[in-house]
Amino acid sequence: MSSRRSRATTVSEEEINELISRLQTLLPNAGRRGGNQASATKLLKETCNYIKSLHREVDDLSDRLSDLMATMDQNSPGAEIIRSLLR
Amino acid sequence: MGFKQELLRNLLLSLRARAAEACSASDATTLQVRRRAVKRAADVAMAAARGHGRGRARWPKAILAAADTAPSSSSPAARGACSVRKSTACKRVARTRRCAAGTKRSVVRGGDAAAAASAVARRMVKRRTMALRKVIPGGHAAVDEASLLRETLDYVVHLRAQVDVLRRVAEAAVQRSSTFLLLQ
Repeated sequence: MSSRRSRATTVSEEEINELISRLQTLLPNAGRRGGNQASATKLLKETCNYIKSLHREVDDLSDRLSDLMATMDQNSPGAEIIRSLLR
Repeated sequence: MGFKQELLRNLLLSLRARAAEACSASDATTLQVRRRAVKRAADVAMAAARGHGRGRARWPKAILAAADTAPSSSSPAARGACSVRKSTACKRVARTRRCAAGTKRSVVRGGDAAAAASAVARRMVKRRTMALRKVIPGGHAAVDEASLLRETLDYVVHLRAQVDVLRRVAEAAVQRSSTFLLLQ
């Protein structure tokens, strides 16, 4: 029973290492090497920070878009342009 | 239709519907409310576009579920729904933590010094994965590290695409309006 469990743990460790290395290629500073546990925690932290920065970008862009659309509330000619984009 | 196209289509449909009701509605909607609505439209567009794609991911359902219960105005009923959802999420986190602790114990009992060292390292990784769970929609419900990492990979890829689509829409809108002004 215990041997089966440790085998399962080994298999998922390999999978986790593979997933972590795939994650590394997505991060902005891809090209860093090192497969030990220390760099795995660093990589997870970088991933967290990266996701948070992406969230901030989405927030900023949504705000910009929202403000642009606010000009649609007034009947300006510029608003018609934006309306045509959304048609 | 590719993911980005579907995201764009969903987003534009939602924004157009929103714009239509904004014209008819009074000037009561504040800047904050409008911005939050666009942000939610972008997230729902992303989640809906991913839902139709190949493979299954948990985060789109989490986004759509959150969008359903999120208050569009700060009504007490909607706030109540949010708090109910939060307590369910806490229970799931507790259950996940217990499962993780069980796995750790069985490895250390293996006896090896190397196994103990890797257990310590794995504990550090667990701390990081807890932080990751908070930023991935529905991340608290991932049953193990591997599925959390798979969710993360999938989410990051689509999140980057969302940023790209939003940037293009914003730039296109700015370009068209400035072109129009130039021709005046």
